[in-house]
Amino acid sequence: MYYDFHINNINLVEEAERLGYSGLAIIGGNQGEDNEWENWDRHPIQIYKSILIRARNPEDMRQKVKRFRGEAQVIMVQGGDQKINRAACEDPQVDILSMPYYNRKDSGINHVMARKASQNEVAVELNIKHLSRTSSHLQYKVLAHYRELVKLKRKFNFHLIITSNAQSIYDLHSPLDLIALSRCFGMNQEEAVSALSESPRNIIERNNTRNKVVVDGVKLVN
Amino acid sequence: MKLKILPPHLRNKKRYLAFEVLSEKPINREEVISLIWGAAGGLYGSCGVSSFDLWVVKIWPCKFREQNIVKGILRCSREEVSTVRSIFPLINRYKGKRVVFHTLGISGTIKSAKSKFIKPG
Repeated sequence: MYYDFHINNINLVEEAERLGYSGLAIIGGNQGEDNEWENWDRHPIQIYKSILIRARNPEDMRQKVKRFRGEAQVIMVQGGDQKINRAACEDPQVDILSMPYYNRKDSGINHVMARKASQNEVAVELNIKHLSRTSSHLQYKVLAHYRELVKLKRKFNFHLIITSNAQSIYDLHSPLDLIALSRCFGMNQEEAVSALSESPRNIIERNNTRNKVVVDGVKLVN
Repeated sequence: MKLKILPPHLRNKKRYLAFEVLSEKPINREEVISLIWGAAGGLYGSCGVSSFDLWVVKIWPCKFREQNIVKGILRCSREEVSTVRSIFPLINRYKGKRVVFHTLGISGTIKSAKSKFIKPG
């Protein structure tokens, strides 16, 4: 059971199924206008609606997360800015912090944010397209950032997820190839499998029970 | 004169990786080789690639639904199978056109790689 939680195009469902994925989260801009979305629950693999939030500042991020939480099953926040990275890690309503290392010289996550991300169950995304699109003489930097995140994950135990950020079929890769690639940034086999299967499943399970949680630690059973 | 072949216990153990290439433009054997070697060299360097024992055995061009698909078999050392596999996600462009490699499967002989993954059934 492998999942890819950062897909930008609904037409990739068939190809993803052929490659062995069993669930996708697709970022939909104009969901109402797209006819493909009408049949979205009839596809053979599970499809979740996801929204990528690009915020100007932490306050803007919080407002957007609040507004879109009901509409999408997966909420991603585009990271990169230090304040937004931190705000996303501190917000339990956020599911995935996307690319905290984007346009930065470091990984974008420190021990404080890592602890917060672990407490609030915010997953951090390792984006394969970002790695493969980087020119080969700069790939070492991206790999170093990923390695740093894996190191923090081992210490603070937050979720990492590996995604493809696919726009066309040429961006999708087979999950077993991605597991093999994850050795390059220091993940072992179990960690890589969990980043592609358990962590995404955790996000969905958590969102299914989100409405039933009254306050932190108290859940409606019936 | 050709060297005498090594006894079986001294030969390098091999595995055969069946792969497919989807590309925007038709792609031939030389281009497949240059893509794989280029990406492998970029990621692991000459020192790493020298231990992989890479060799493109054969490729089969086929067209499916107006898509250029090439299937092929890549030989590599038994110990380095997953390392070789990790090269594929990093190949994304050739001469400005999009291209992608997928592993179809791994096998111990060319015959079974062909019958299982390249021409099943």
